[in-house]
Amino acid sequence: MAAIELPTWAALAPALILAATALVLFLIDSIESEPDTTSPVLLTAVGLAGALGALAFNVWYLIADTGQNAPIELFGGQLMVDGMTLVLGTIVASVLALVVLASYDYIADDPYQAEYFSLLFLAATGMTLLGSVDSFVTAFLALELSSLPSYALVAYLKDNQGSVEAGLKYFLIGALSSAIFAYGISLIYGATGSLQFDAVAAAVDPTALPGILGVGIVMVAGGVAFKTAIVPFHFWAPEAYEGAPTPISAFLSSASKAAGFILAFRIFTTAFPIEAVATTIDWLVLFQALAVVTMVLGNFAAATQESVKRMLAYSSIGHAGYVLIALAALTPTANADLVLGAGMLHLLVYGFMNTGAFLFVGLAEYWDVGRTFEDYNGLAQEAPIASVAMTIFLFSLAGLPVGAGFLSKYVLFGAAVGAGLWWLAAVGAIASALSLFYYARVVKALWIEEPSQDFEIDTYPVGLYAAIIVAAVVTVLLLPGFGLVSEDAIAAAGALL
Amino acid sequence: MVGVVHYLVLSAAVFAIGVFGVMARSNALMFLMSVELMLNAANINLVAFSLHYGNLTGQVFALLVMALAAAEVAIGLGIILVLDRNFGDIDVTVPTTMRR
Repeated sequence: MAAIELPTWAALAPALILAATALVLFLIDSIESEPDTTSPVLLTAVGLAGALGALAFNVWYLIADTGQNAPIELFGGQLMVDGMTLVLGTIVASVLALVVLASYDYIADDPYQAEYFSLLFLAATGMTLLGSVDSFVTAFLALELSSLPSYALVAYLKDNQGSVEAGLKYFLIGALSSAIFAYGISLIYGATGSLQFDAVAAAVDPTALPGILGVGIVMVAGGVAFKTAIVPFHFWAPEAYEGAPTPISAFLSSASKAAGFILAFRIFTTAFPIEAVATTIDWLVLFQALAVVTMVLGNFAAATQESVKRMLAYSSIGHAGYVLIALAALTPTANADLVLGAGMLHLLVYGFMNTGAFLFVGLAEYWDVGRTFEDYNGLAQEAPIASVAMTIFLFSLAGLPVGAGFLSKYVLFGAAVGAGLWWLAAVGAIASALSLFYYARVVKALWIEEPSQDFEIDTYPVGLYAAIIVAAVVTVLLLPGFGLVSEDAIAAAGALL
Repeated sequence: MVGVVHYLVLSAAVFAIGVFGVMARSNALMFLMSVELMLNAANINLVAFSLHYGNLTGQVFALLVMALAAAEVAIGLGIILVLDRNFGDIDVTVPTTMRR
């Protein structure tokens, strides 16, 4: 039906474009006569073109139903492209475009900008590929491709103690969890003799070597839990998000988290379907427990923070708990398409509203406003447009119907109730109510409190402003447009099961 | 006769030594070496099971894990270098600027 016949490998175009952009950025930097003199405008323009190109391909493929009727398999079944791949690609490319735009102002005075942008694109390539992995080999490779540049990016401000400390902690826990992930894969290989997802599912034999398989599954879940900052592996998240350059915090907490979840959806529905492994290890119970602990701990810790950025970091852990409901509620009675689709939708909406909220913090850092709630007092008088956007992000994160966060949470909790897990939805709803308290503290500081300091705001950075406004507009537009995207997401989930 | 179970016990032992190193040592370089042990424990498993099942998947993946371990060390050493420049130490428990 397509007007243009593309070769099969073109299904990977979004990832290929991102990788090519990373290399082009390296090239531009290396042909400059003087080191580190590349124009930031050129770097940002190339980056933006790459990110939007990848986004365009993702959206085009989604509309043209590429791989959505039957997954496109590539490289002997190591990679595949289906609806979920494209949904993740859309999330990553959108967040990447916003982050590139915001970075133009945020790192304007820092050296090694070309390297910064290149690493950003390499990480984005890994995240996009995580959506199309079809074996544990490619899963491990894509996970590392997204993690390794991220470590360097978090420690990018290398004269800043906070940034270096954040990079160190992220790296230490990341290296540890990737070793655990690798060992888990080796045990699964030992139990099944294969690394392809579908071959693993076919070879799962609960009677032979149940111990090895069970430990392997738990270790793989641990590796994924690190990437998504789910509770036993969440320690790095507040430190890394607080110390990192703020656009990087936004990128990691939105795109990287989405990539980790999509990988989890893929592994636990394709390689370890619950009916095959239920007697070895019932991961439904595991994820239900983790979802409750993650939602409660993330939201309570967020409520006690003084720093706005750290509050957002903990709230990001809480949101990981909400999305985990999508896996925890895959009970036999559940409407599985709806449950998984709701998880993807929340990741999509979260990508915009959370990136926007972090970028507002980046804007405040750009103006040297300070980091606590009190420092934000009265900021709306100086920056009303950005403050309106921030208010939309925060209320949408809390689940009020000013942004699409309301609908995605509603569908998610509704799907959990439909799966017979009303208590899981109740915990989620209570956690959301609590989250309104600490999100509202920021809104109150912005609009109601009198300024506690004289702001020295003389410039309004174009890139940061544009990124924040675009994120806010999309967050609001997804409210009426929710039906449109939900169809694609639920269809993508349906193809998986 | 050395069977696949012996290799499994060996790899579990190597993995456990790695975990112990991660828990007990606060020197960042020791941490890197311990993680390396854990990755190599995975490699022992992969190669042993590859022989057991008679397919090459495990051996190829073991090669990839080695390459990735090298890449990870490269990034890690870079971060440890800036850690030393900023804090004058490579003890991972020293940097606590964010904890109040």
